[in-house]
Amino acid sequence: MDIYLPIAEVSVNIFLILGLGLAVGFLSGMFGVGGGFLMTPILIFIGIPPPVAVATQTNQIVASSASGAIAHFRRKSLDLKMGLYLLAGGVVGSIGGVQLFSFLQATGQINLVISLCYVGFLGIIGGLMFVESAGALWRRYRQGKAGVTPRARRRKRGIIDALPFKARFPVSGLYISLIPVIGIGALVGLLAALMGVGGGFVMVPAMIYILRMPTSVVIGTSLFQILFVTALTTFLQASQNQTVDLVLAALLIVGGVIGAQFGARAGQRIRAEELRAALALMVLGVCLKLAFDLVSDPADMFELMETAGGGAS
Amino acid sequence: MIRALLILLALGGTAHAAPEDEIEPVGIVAALTQEVVEIRSNFTGASFLVYGAVTGLAEGDDIVVVVRGPQEDLRVMRKIRTLGIWINRAPIAFDDIYGYYAVASTRSLSQFATFSSLRREGIGMEHLRLSAPAHEREETRFGVGGVVVTELGAEIVDYRRAIVRNRAREGLYVESPGGVEILDGGLFRAGVRLPPVTPVGEYALDIYLFRDGVPVASRRTTLEVRKAGLEQAIYDFAHEHAPFYGMVAVIIALIAGWSAAEIFRRR
Repeated sequence: MDIYLPIAEVSVNIFLILGLGLAVGFLSGMFGVGGGFLMTPILIFIGIPPPVAVATQTNQIVASSASGAIAHFRRKSLDLKMGLYLLAGGVVGSIGGVQLFSFLQATGQINLVISLCYVGFLGIIGGLMFVESAGALWRRYRQGKAGVTPRARRRKRGIIDALPFKARFPVSGLYISLIPVIGIGALVGLLAALMGVGGGFVMVPAMIYILRMPTSVVIGTSLFQILFVTALTTFLQASQNQTVDLVLAALLIVGGVIGAQFGARAGQRIRAEELRAALALMVLGVCLKLAFDLVSDPADMFELMETAGGGAS
Repeated sequence: MIRALLILLALGGTAHAAPEDEIEPVGIVAALTQEVVEIRSNFTGASFLVYGAVTGLAEGDDIVVVVRGPQEDLRVMRKIRTLGIWINRAPIAFDDIYGYYAVASTRSLSQFATFSSLRREGIGMEHLRLSAPAHEREETRFGVGGVVVTELGAEIVDYRRAIVRNRAREGLYVESPGGVEILDGGLFRAGVRLPPVTPVGEYALDIYLFRDGVPVASRRTTLEVRKAGLEQAIYDFAHEHAPFYGMVAVIIALIAGWSAAEIFRRR
């Protein structure tokens, strides 16, 4: 059954979108990732104009991060002060990102920039995940044989501790400079606007390795920031670029939230390393497909863009 | 009708003008099976028929049906490999390009129509007006004033072909020789197919009667393509009340996420 999307101005199969939403939601629930970095490229592959795919996916992340953020809020497993500073950076990044998005749309380079961002980030994330999970698998194999315990990492004083504008974060037990906090927040806001991702895959490692926040509050704090940044980005994309498709968003949200709940349950009963390696391979697969499309000879050497009267081509 | 008269007047001076004494006055009546095409949530394109009658149809006459969709400005960019990656470069702005353009005729156009009449009326992919005004100027050539030339030279041809090719791929530009069927007694019909991506707006349908290589009569009817129902409401809402639309989108997402968390928590 086909449904016409009023903003994307294309017809899509309703069950295909619901199914994709469920599948990506299931994976995101299982691995605790937002799923935006998988869903946005898939939407582009099936023919949704990239600007609409990015903006609408941001809307879907609002829904998927809301349920997680509420749960963490109840358990108080988040650093609200840190979250607010990250959010301040996120607001700047999001506003800047949406402006950049409009500019790139006007100059006809938006599709290229979206693809390049995806190739870069998916390549890095997929590669790191694969190395990490393969390493974990290898260690488990060796432990089974010899019982080697992993070395404890020593905390070093780095460049982060030397920066000015320090503030105290009692919940995280940190006294650090605000510059990296706001910087990380801004980067995540920019990614939300340009790529339609929550940015958890960047923020969580950054919070752990750069800010050295305790892992107990990392997920809650990042969800808090993602929720507000994606909500703001959705609002800005809708009001400035008119690229949020409510019908598509509704389909993605329905599939996504249901899939995520089942994924979260399934995630408690599975062996993590194998599946992380599988997810890493999937991420790398999407990355390679996008990279291949950038370098292979295009089907047509020309591209048409409508310049008057809105709507994507 | 005025258009048809003008054409006849224009033809008066040409060498091709048919001798007046032997023809009865020609006229065209035409109608569509559907005058409004509504884009609703189940829209996957539309098909309809143009049908009508020609009075005074003679042996060897040909009928052409041209459908012209709403015009829009277009930017066409050429992909150039830069550092191994294909990047859109060299934009050229085209003005007033038809969002939909279909030509159906009884035979292939070159078999019965002169080059100049096709060019004048803009009939056929070869004669479609695709102008990039920023790169054009008028010159006098071979003693003829007001000849539009482009400073892009032969390159403009690649761009024009790209427009036709891209649009044809989406089913937006269609040429169907043999698409007009002449039935007994001067009756004719032609099928028109609008693809799912067809633009919204006013469509003009021109029916031309060709005799001795030139159009001797024409008739125009119109068709409207519009979004309807929920699609219309959402589209208008998104464009006319954009900030409010954005807020609604966020609120729907928040409610959905929150209610999902609640429903699954109680299980």
